[in-house]
Amino acid sequence: MIDEDGSMDKREAPVNGSEHWMALEGGVDGSAGAGAYTSRFVGIGASVPEQRVTSDELMASTTHRTGIDLERLTGVRERRIAGEGEDSYTLALGAARDALAYANCAAEDLDVLIVSSITHYVGGLRMQLDPPLSVSLKHALGAQRALSFDISNACAGMMTGVFILNDMIRSGRIRRGMVVSGEYISQLGRNAALEVRTMMDDQLASLTLGDAGAAAILERAPEGAPGIEVAGFTTLAEHSRLCLAFPAKIGRGASMYSDARTLQEVGIEDTVPMLREALDQAGLRFDEIDYFIPHQTSARAIKKGVKEFSERMGGAPKHVVVTVDEFGNTSSTTHFVALWKYLREGRFAEQDRVLLLSIASGLEVGIVIFKVDQLVGRYGHGH
Amino acid sequence: MGTVIEASAIATAAAHQRTLAPGALELADLAARSCLDRANRTADELDLLINAGVYHDKILSEPAFASLIQEDIGANLSHPATGGHGTFSFDVYNGACGLLTAIHLVDGMLASGTVELGMVVASDLDPEPGLSEGFSFPGVGGAVLLSADDSRLGFTAFRLATFPEFAGLFQSYVDWHEDAGRGLAGHGRNILTVDIAESYTARALECAESTARELAAAQSLDLDEVDLLVATASVPGFADGLATRLGVSAERVAALPDGLAGAHTAAPAAALESVALTSGTTALFVSAGAGITVAAALYRG
Repeated sequence: MIDEDGSMDKREAPVNGSEHWMALEGGVDGSAGAGAYTSRFVGIGASVPEQRVTSDELMASTTHRTGIDLERLTGVRERRIAGEGEDSYTLALGAARDALAYANCAAEDLDVLIVSSITHYVGGLRMQLDPPLSVSLKHALGAQRALSFDISNACAGMMTGVFILNDMIRSGRIRRGMVVSGEYISQLGRNAALEVRTMMDDQLASLTLGDAGAAAILERAPEGAPGIEVAGFTTLAEHSRLCLAFPAKIGRGASMYSDARTLQEVGIEDTVPMLREALDQAGLRFDEIDYFIPHQTSARAIKKGVKEFSERMGGAPKHVVVTVDEFGNTSSTTHFVALWKYLREGRFAEQDRVLLLSIASGLEVGIVIFKVDQLVGRYGHGH
Repeated sequence: MGTVIEASAIATAAAHQRTLAPGALELADLAARSCLDRANRTADELDLLINAGVYHDKILSEPAFASLIQEDIGANLSHPATGGHGTFSFDVYNGACGLLTAIHLVDGMLASGTVELGMVVASDLDPEPGLSEGFSFPGVGGAVLLSADDSRLGFTAFRLATFPEFAGLFQSYVDWHEDAGRGLAGHGRNILTVDIAESYTARALECAESTARELAAAQSLDLDEVDLLVATASVPGFADGLATRLGVSAERVAALPDGLAGAHTAAPAAALESVALTSGTTALFVSAGAGITVAAALYRG
């Protein structure tokens, strides 16, 4: 627990009782992951720039005549682009404040603040390495008590933050925490547009990227209340070099080089046993998932993945959430931008069960299964 | 049940320069392998691998550097049909406090039973020697292997604090420099700049002292009980300065190996090279870094 004076003491903890491939928290088998408490989402916030760029507009800006119909290929109709004065920091700050408002809690109530952005642009395209973004965000939010740090795990960053917070809350070490990410990542697409020549180009995936901030607040649920049922993660590192991003050689910002086709293929193949493991741990079938929210890379990849997963799992989720058409791939924030959109639009019912699936560079596979419950009411919907 | 350090190890650029010309990744790989060897463990036993290094090859932002280390050391690279357990890897960025922050996270997951064996790795090396500006940290990688032990206390408390009023004293960033003479495209390039103000060390000492004293007070620890002070802040002389402020005698300070004064994220692991955390030892870890951020931890061997 975090004491009143801010120090954290350890408490007696359960002993690990079962072996899984994934690092797993929660479930029905009575293993260590069962934890002492349940954690739940109480606020999902986002900050999306006003400015939009369609795929047609982006492809019209390429240096070379590519002949690529990007919208048809990826399903990305448009993406949001950071405007004047917007960057990773401002997007994260906006999302954090939005999440606090929905959670109806104050920043000083946060025990932990985790920043999980891939991009760390502050003041335009200046990438900040030290200090971590969490220091200035904590200060700007007024989260004085919060233990703060940054993490990085490619597009699985926010999900990794959820995994960390879930573990801390379940074991009783903290009561409430936030994970937040601000992705000013569309500039990778702008750099890619200068160099892409064909559909097989290793920078093609960069053209799908869009900017967004997102934040999620988790807290200890009242006894007996629903929340996160299972959270699991693993890294299948034989594929760690399939996607690499670093500062660009041709201009400001960064460039990303990926073998997107292989990444998609191995991602789908390697995810099947992880899905099975997480669902088994939760005591659920795939067709008992009401909303399936995969990482938003392209509409085609999502469709192919869902088809494969459903065939292999012997059933399909009731709804598959696709937001890549209007936001593009907003990297570490995609799941939470989708959740935020659906919550605001009143798409969920309280009893709905959601499965978030991360498949990200690394190769990271992360799964979070939770019941929506009281979140619905926080967005002005439900009973 | 406590989180104990099974082993730690380092690898320096100086020691491997002739044979390997290593980057930060190779330094991390070497330290990780050496750490596992010292503990008589295999990479496949790892459930969790966290990288806390900041300055690495190409200033890679994706994937997590930890996943590259995981692949290089061969820890559960793919899911076999026979099952078993995998390894989960990600990066923590908290400047010079990253290693202790990562240890804090491993400690939590060991305590909850989510993992049984975790390793924290950190390395820093100038990504582009001759082109970066202000980079002065010695090239070193470090690794610390952690597990739960029913018979020992291990890490008993952590405290992290931030002092944002001093954020400007230690800054590093990558931005575009227009320069027709240096750029590959003939018009400029992205350059890493590290800027540490002269007053950083004094402020870091103030912040570290107050955080360490708060931790000691919360744990009812008399600083006279401290057998070992492991103090690092990316600048030379920090450990001795903090020892003086805390009233810890000089012989109880874990000294950094020659050539590693001012080591960045791997510094706590480097300091452990010269000492032994034997049974009964009370060790106080204190790291300070950009932010200013301070991480302090109490370890009872």
